[in-house]
Amino acid sequence: MPMVNIAGKDYEVDEEGYLIDLSQWNEDIAKYMAVEEKVELTEGHWEVVNFLREYYAEYQIAPAVRVLTKAIGKKLGPDKGNNKYLYELFPYGPAKQACKIAGLPKPTGCI
Amino acid sequence: MSTVTIIYAGLFYIATLLLVAGLAYKIFDYSRTPAPLKIPTTPAPTTQTGVVYRMAKEVVLFESLFKSNKWIWVFGWLFHFGLLLVLLRHLRYFTEPVWFWVNIVQPFGKYASIMMVVGLIGLLARRFLVDRVRYISTPSDYLMLVLIIVIGASGMLMTFVAHTDIVALKTFFMGLMYFDVQPVPQDPILLVHLALVALLMLIFPISKLLHAPGVFFSPTRNQADNPRENRHVAAWAARLDQKN
Amino acid sequence: MAAAEFDIPEIKDYIEVPKLREGVMAHAKTFLAPKPVQDFMGYPHELADNWKESALEKMGDLLGKYRSLKVFLDACVHCGACTDKCHYYLGTSDPKNMPVARQDLMRQVYRRYFTTAGKLFPKLVGAKDLTKEVLDDWYNYYHQCSECRRCSVFCPYGIDTAEITMAGREILNHVGMGQKYSNEILGKVQKIGNNLGLPGPALLDTLEGLEEDIEADTGVAVKLPIDVKGAEVLLVTPSADFFSEPHVESLIGYAKVFHAAGISWTLSTHASEAGNFGLFNGNYETMRKVAMRIRDAALELGVKRIVVGECGHAWRVAYSFWNTLTGIGYGADDPFSIELQKQLDPNYPQPQHICELTNDLIQSGRIKVDPSLNDDLIVTYHDSCNVARASRMGTEPGGQFTIPRELIKSVVNNFHNMADDTIYESTFCCGGGGGLLTDDLMEVRVKGALPRVTALNNVVKEHKVNFMATICAICKAQFTKVLPKYGFDMSMVGGVHQLVSKAIKLD
Repeated sequence: MPMVNIAGKDYEVDEEGYLIDLSQWNEDIAKYMAVEEKVELTEGHWEVVNFLREYYAEYQIAPAVRVLTKAIGKKLGPDKGNNKYLYELFPYGPAKQACKIAGLPKPTGCI
Repeated sequence: MSTVTIIYAGLFYIATLLLVAGLAYKIFDYSRTPAPLKIPTTPAPTTQTGVVYRMAKEVVLFESLFKSNKWIWVFGWLFHFGLLLVLLRHLRYFTEPVWFWVNIVQPFGKYASIMMVVGLIGLLARRFLVDRVRYISTPSDYLMLVLIIVIGASGMLMTFVAHTDIVALKTFFMGLMYFDVQPVPQDPILLVHLALVALLMLIFPISKLLHAPGVFFSPTRNQADNPRENRHVAAWAARLDQKN
Repeated sequence: MAAAEFDIPEIKDYIEVPKLREGVMAHAKTFLAPKPVQDFMGYPHELADNWKESALEKMGDLLGKYRSLKVFLDACVHCGACTDKCHYYLGTSDPKNMPVARQDLMRQVYRRYFTTAGKLFPKLVGAKDLTKEVLDDWYNYYHQCSECRRCSVFCPYGIDTAEITMAGREILNHVGMGQKYSNEILGKVQKIGNNLGLPGPALLDTLEGLEEDIEADTGVAVKLPIDVKGAEVLLVTPSADFFSEPHVESLIGYAKVFHAAGISWTLSTHASEAGNFGLFNGNYETMRKVAMRIRDAALELGVKRIVVGECGHAWRVAYSFWNTLTGIGYGADDPFSIELQKQLDPNYPQPQHICELTNDLIQSGRIKVDPSLNDDLIVTYHDSCNVARASRMGTEPGGQFTIPRELIKSVVNNFHNMADDTIYESTFCCGGGGGLLTDDLMEVRVKGALPRVTALNNVVKEHKVNFMATICAICKAQFTKVLPKYGFDMSMVGGVHQLVSKAIKLD
């Protein structure tokens, strides 16, 4: 497995750069992953990332897209509780890109 | 008895034996190999009668090939149907008295040889001209076509140009059939024709000519589409059920 | 993403057969499955010294177990009928993506080691030794086949490349070259119950959220019940229906149909997945193990009917194989199957497709719909490969084409088919089927979608089509990702029950 060096520490990631050990996650890693993904982290991005981590801690999986949009809508206002807003934040897809930045494993299946 | 006769008699006995034994083994092998899952290409007939009808359309009309590519279909069908008529016509060398319907087919079979060779030349031309077909062709693909073209051409030469002694030829083959070997007519064109036919018989069971029996065993074509109504289980797979 | 850059093919007016360009897709190699994934599946994760013997032994084993493999490897005459039929060839122009050439990767080895001609005259008949290069070709090109069976329609002997691909993947797994995407999913479905790895509590939470959404949207308390013993219907649907857009919209559609018809139904946490990637891997026992979850859930919950949601390959496995693998169906005389079959209601086909169920309800007037609610849409229908060429709906051959269309036409007013040679049995795969729906194969997926996108583009231009309905989770995920690359909006693809959901009357 490949390793990446972030702020002087080595972390194991998979072929696509997803963090292997989710407990190692910290904000430096998030910032590093965001640069890799060409995403500039704003307040909005952090809201999503933090929600993903909370949800994962409870359910051991990333939330469904709908669950995520609803939660973001509740936090940031109904105009932001939609797919379009999430895709503006994470153009490659909230499920995959946001998970990477949040240190979650990539959800796979017929999605 | 001349050496040539002994060679040709031996050749045809061996070729016939290997053809029959080889094909019988292959057919036995196909039929003993299970088809554990229902995999007809759908839409497929839901009954056995329907399957017979589908298979008949496949074998007689080359239905799937017709859907696929009209050039291959035209050449392929000309060749195969021509070959069928030619083969039926050849029955007159193996039957005494000649069956009445062979006599009816006989004049058609004469000209069917032209269909057959035209079809074969078309198929050969595609191997050279179409880049995709050229890519997949192996030396044996070309040689097989050349072999059958030469068999056809030598036969046509004897039919239309330089007639051979067909009475003596019939005596030779009837003799082979009754294990009373008679001299083979020593016409060079005929000897080439016969040698190549024997070669074709020899390679039939170990070559792609196995498509002939193979099509009947093709699960995508010979299975009925009724998996919800009938439970279909192969013996090796049924053993898994016992563990539950 | 560090994914390699590649050119998006240009959409032409019609589907062009390209001149071949050798080796242009040789670099496309999907990620290998790592040790933990292979361990769980019982496969090695790297080549052993004796990999060649092991591969040939496995090949011999499969040749003895599958008539399809044996006949298909013998029967091909290299006529070329299939050479322009595969969407991956049409999209990439790599000759090894022509069905016959893909088969020949295995046929050359078969001839070398299992036939007289190939043992005696290998060069003459195109027989080849099994080398590491050949094995690598297997890995790369058996993962550029979506097992869609389009070639089998056009082959004069019915040779189905999918059967060869499955055998190829099975042998590759056996020697330690498994595909990460498929094998990881096969692990999750067996450990957690679905391909996504959605644990029970997360599933419950998601379903509750959906119930709230439906009620907020319609004012009607439509339920999404789970693990309800004694329900009439067990609905088995792809887990993407719980998770992704637009898949969720169809799940809501099924729930509304059951509600409107007053049919008691349930999902199952144990069998919260219709998909069965065991099909893609070509391993009978894996496919059987994954399918057994449905049988177990049906027995456990005591349901009378088993209905399958919108998932293409799942419907193939359900319709064609469930009876064989698990006894879900009719006509058995063995105790294993009878145990389940005596529980099922003989008035319905088992299993039944959700489109069969909904269409019957609409045609018989048991549920009411208003197609004008979909008047903003001009709809076309993409026949999913596994449904089209490996299954049926209804009682007549071809029901898999007519029933979904009849259903769509009863809930929308504007419908147009795509070109004849791209639908029904000639349908083109979405490009993401058969275990290829993974980011590491994005180039293969995008290029493989070209024929379908070309046909779609033509109805968009001609009839202003703005919605392509389909009944497969893979198709939906693939198109939402790939259509934007060709300049289409991702929201123009969705499920048939997404249309039902909008048109159904709920009181």
